[in-house]
Amino acid sequence: MDAFSNLATGFAAAASFQNLGFALIGCLLGTLIGVLPGIGPIPTIAMLLPITFGLDPLSSLIMLAGIYYGAQYGGSTTSILVNMPGEASSVVTCMDGYQMARKGRAGAALSVAALGSFFAGCVGTIFIAAFGPPLAALAQQFNSPDYFSLMLLGLLMAVVLAHGSVIKAIAMVIVGLLFGLVGTDVNSGAVRYTFGVSELWDGIDFLPMVIGMFGIVEIIRNLEEKEVDRTAISTKFRDLWPSASEFAQSWKPVLRGTAVGSILGILPGGGAVLAAFAAYTVEKKVAKDPSRFGKGAIEGVAGPESANNAAAQTSFIPLLTLGLPSNPIMALMMGAMMIQGIQPGAAVMTSRPDLFWGMVASMWIGNLMLVVINLPMIGIWVKLLSIPYRYLYPAILMFCVIGVYGTNANAVMMILTAVFAVFGYIMVRFGCEPAPMVLGFLLGPLMEENLRRSLVLSRGDPMIFLQRPISLTLLICALGLLLVIVLPNVRKSREIAFQEGG
Amino acid sequence: MLRIRSPQDLGAGLVFIAIGVAGVYFGQDLTYGSSSRMGPGYFPIILSYLTIMMGLIIGGRGFALDGPPIQRIPLRPISFVILAILAFGFLIEQIGLALTTVAVIFIASAARKQFNVKETVVLAIVVAALCVGVFIYGLSQPMPAWWGR
Repeated sequence: MDAFSNLATGFAAAASFQNLGFALIGCLLGTLIGVLPGIGPIPTIAMLLPITFGLDPLSSLIMLAGIYYGAQYGGSTTSILVNMPGEASSVVTCMDGYQMARKGRAGAALSVAALGSFFAGCVGTIFIAAFGPPLAALAQQFNSPDYFSLMLLGLLMAVVLAHGSVIKAIAMVIVGLLFGLVGTDVNSGAVRYTFGVSELWDGIDFLPMVIGMFGIVEIIRNLEEKEVDRTAISTKFRDLWPSASEFAQSWKPVLRGTAVGSILGILPGGGAVLAAFAAYTVEKKVAKDPSRFGKGAIEGVAGPESANNAAAQTSFIPLLTLGLPSNPIMALMMGAMMIQGIQPGAAVMTSRPDLFWGMVASMWIGNLMLVVINLPMIGIWVKLLSIPYRYLYPAILMFCVIGVYGTNANAVMMILTAVFAVFGYIMVRFGCEPAPMVLGFLLGPLMEENLRRSLVLSRGDPMIFLQRPISLTLLICALGLLLVIVLPNVRKSREIAFQEGG
Repeated sequence: MLRIRSPQDLGAGLVFIAIGVAGVYFGQDLTYGSSSRMGPGYFPIILSYLTIMMGLIIGGRGFALDGPPIQRIPLRPISFVILAILAFGFLIEQIGLALTTVAVIFIASAARKQFNVKETVVLAIVVAALCVGVFIYGLSQPMPAWWGR
C-alpha cells in the first residue's frame, strides 16, 4: 500500500537520533508552557523561530509542532489540579476536571486526559496520512482563480469560527491583508507604505508583529490581573489509574471527542480551542443526566481533552496540503517553513515527501513521548506551577525580545515590536482579537499575486472566478457562509457554543 | 443627538477608518493600473476603501447597538513593558546582552506596583546568566555578550 510505504519513509526520517531529540525538546517545552499560565504556544513558537533558522527544516518543524500539541497535554494538568487553564484549549477541562480533583479523583482525571489525548493524537495522525494526499492531489489542479477563492473562503471561515465579533474580525483580516502589502511590490518594484524606512522594503517582519500582538499584549494583560494563588491539589503516582467504572464511562466520550476534534481541526479557523468547547457541548447533550456536568463528570474531561489534541493534529492538514494556515499557530508554522525557503502547499508532499511524512510520523512519536512525560513526571510539572508570575514575565519578555532581535539584529525591529504591542493592546480593548489580522497579513501578498494572475488570464474580466468550477464552488461556499452568519438564529447558537463554560 | 451606546465599537470603527484613510492617502502616488494590468496601487487601494467601509459599519454600530464599555487602561504595566522593549533595542549594541538583560528585567519588574529590589536583583542576574549562556554560547545568536564587541 502506498500510504504504508509513505509512512515508513516518514518514520525513518523522524526516528533519526537528531529528530527524536528535537521532538523531545518540543514536547518538553510544550508541556512546560502548557503548565505555566501566562505563556502559550504562540509566543513560544514565535520566540523559537529564529533559533530554527540554523536547523534542518524537518527538525525545526518537528520541534515546533511538538510545542503545539505538547501544550495541549500540559494545559490539562493545570486545569485539573489548580482550576486554572494553562492553555485556552483547556478552559473547559477546568469545570469538571477540578471538581474531580476535589473529590480525590485527580489522578483519574489526569490519566483519562492524557490517554484520551494520546488516542486522539494517534487518530489525528492517521487522519493526516489519509486525507493529506487526496487533498494535495486536488490542490494540484488549482489555478490562480481557485487559489484566490480558496483564500477568501479560508479567511472567512477562520473569522466565523474564531472567538469574538465576526464583523470586527473581518475588518481585522482586511487590515492584515493591507499590512501584508507593505514593502516592495514584486511585480513592479514599486515601494509601498514604507515611509522612508528602509527596513520595511522587504515588508513588515513577521516576528515583531506576532511577538508584539500576541506575546507582549499577553504579558500586559496578565499584569493587569491580580495574581492568583496557585495551590495544586496533590496527587500521587499510584492514584493515577482510573477505576473500571471511570474507564467504562470515558471511552465513548474519547471517541466522540476525537471525531469532533478531528473534523473541527481541519476547518480553517478551527483548532484546539473550538474543538474542546464543541466536544463539551456534545457530551452534555448526549449525557443521560446533564446536571452532573460541572460537578466532576469524567465525560467532561475525556471528551474535550481528546478533542483539543485531535484538532491540534488535524489543523496541520490545510497548511500542509493547501498552503492555507487555519489559525495563528499554523500561521507561525507557515512562517517557519518560509524561513526555511519552503512554500507550504501541495508541492511539499511531492517535492519533499520526507518532510511531510516525517512530520506526520513525528507527531505520533511525540504523542507517545507526551504520555510518558506527563503521567509519571506529573510531580515535577506541579512544582513548576508554584513559580509566581512576577518571576516569569520579565524572563518571558526577555526571551521575546531576543527572539525578535535574533532574526534581524536591528533596533528598528524593537520599535516595530513596541508599535504592534500598543496597536494590538488597543484593539483588544476595543474588542478586536489580533489572530485574524495575522492570518490576513500572511495571505495578503499571496492573494494579491493570485488576483493579479487571474485577471491577467481573463484580460481583466472578474467573471473568471465564476467560470472555473473549483473557484465557483469555493465562492458559493463562502457566500453561503456569509449568509449563515447574517441569519440571527445561527449567530445565537454560535454565541452559546462559546459561552458554554467560558 | 446621537448617543454612544457601544464605545468599543465606536473606537474600533474610528481606528479602522483612520487606517483606511491613511492607506488611501499614502497610496495615492502608487499606480492603480487596470484590472487586466494591476498596478502596485490596485489591491492596496481596494483594501483601504474596504477598511474604511468596515470602519463606518462598526463605528455606526457604536451608536445603534448597546455594547460593553471600554475597560480602564492601567498605564503602569503597558508603559514599563514598552519601555523595556525599546530599552533592549537601544542598549544591546552598546553594552551587550548581559547588562541589557539586567536593565530590561529591572524596567519590566517595575511594571508591577509591588517592586522588590532584592528579588529583582537576583532575578536579573539569573536571567542574564541564562540568556548569555543559552543564546550566545548555546545558539550563537548575532548579538554581543558584553560592550565593545
